[in-house]
Amino acid sequence: MVEPSLVLYGAPYERAVEVLEETLRETGARYALLIDRKGFVLAHKEALWAPKPPPLDTLATLVASNAAATQALAKLLGEACFQEEVHQGERMGLYVDEAGEHALLVLVFDETAPLGKVKLHGKRAAEALARIAEEALANPPRLALDTEYREGAEALLDDLLRN
Amino acid sequence: MSTINFANREINFKIVYYGPGLSGKTTNLKWIYSKVPEGRKGEMVSLATEDERTLFFDFLPLDIGEVKGFKTRFHLYTVPGQVFYNASRKLILRGVDGIVFVADSAPGRLRANAESMRNMRENLAEYGLTLNDVPIVIQVNKRDLPDALPVEMVRAVVDPEGRFPVLEAVATEGKGVFETLKEVSRLVLARVAGGS
Ligand SMILES: Nc1nc2c(ncn2[C@@H]2O[C@H](COP(=O)(O)OP(=O)(O)O)[C@@H](O)[C@H]2O)c(=O)[nH]1
Ligand SMILES: [Mg+2]
Repeated sequence: MVEPSLVLYGAPYERAVEVLEETLRETGARYALLIDRKGFVLAHKEALWAPKPPPLDTLATLVASNAAATQALAKLLGEACFQEEVHQGERMGLYVDEAGEHALLVLVFDETAPLGKVKLHGKRAAEALARIAEEALANPPRLALDTEYREGAEALLDDLLRN
Repeated sequence: MSTINFANREINFKIVYYGPGLSGKTTNLKWIYSKVPEGRKGEMVSLATEDERTLFFDFLPLDIGEVKGFKTRFHLYTVPGQVFYNASRKLILRGVDGIVFVADSAPGRLRANAESMRNMRENLAEYGLTLNDVPIVIQVNKRDLPDALPVEMVRAVVDPEGRFPVLEAVATEGKGVFETLKEVSRLVLARVAGGS
């Protein structure tokens, strides 16, 4: 496969979560996510004080698509990439940075988090996560999907998609 | 390839609805959204223009439940069909696990069907993929049109070798919509979990 599946499992996953936790502490952000370029959540962490987050699936999909479009724009302009991206509204902000080739770091913060800190620690976290992702890619765990899994999933689909 | 998150015990698949503009891709997703019960679906996101033409994509996450301890999800996407949105189409194919090609039965759209299939092949090639690397199902939609072309004629231009399963549909009435999704899901599951 051309697009390697980034799978976080065991120790690399634990370390990724630690990085996300630490970044939440250092930046004062609400939510921190590591997502893959396809828009799936690989790991996420919420600050204890934060209200319920928006649907993470949707967040991840939009961020990944946006990042893909931004990268295509960079190429169009002869750049290898545009680095981190910050969106800021009146109260909420979004920080997105590349965590290596296959993943993205997303920080959602509100007006209590200083942007300077978000950027500084966001960048560091993205670098740490990039290393973890590289390592995870180099040692992919064995897939444990078998015929029994397939039959189970098919049965659920039949159930759900009933006319 | 599917994303497997062992830590959260999740398996996610990405299904893309491809095809020419106005063939009914968004209509498929809207139908699915309207019929799947709450709790099994997430929000449907449509990045569309004011006149409801897909600009970037539609997105609908489905949660089919837990299988052998793994939460299993399907993320459904549509691409924008209009020719000039190719840059977006290409992006959406990234990491695709399965494709539904929605063809239009209208007589005036025969060529658009063929061109869209060719475009899909080219875009897959940019990721180093051929039509054999991804499970593909053809949905021949708009069977209710009074002047709908014969299915075989539509198939002949998009899949002359008859390699892919073909399903007929009237997406506006939901006919064939679930069947198509089930068929592509089956193929995707067979790919990752043996058998087929
Ligand atoms: N007659 C008929 N019209 C359909 C059918 N499916 C979709 N349409 C209509 O075709 C138009 C384009 O559909 P849409 O889903 O937006 O196309 P997309 O560009 O492929 O996303 C809309 O007006 C739909 O109502 C169908 O099965 N029969
Ligand atoms: Mg559409």
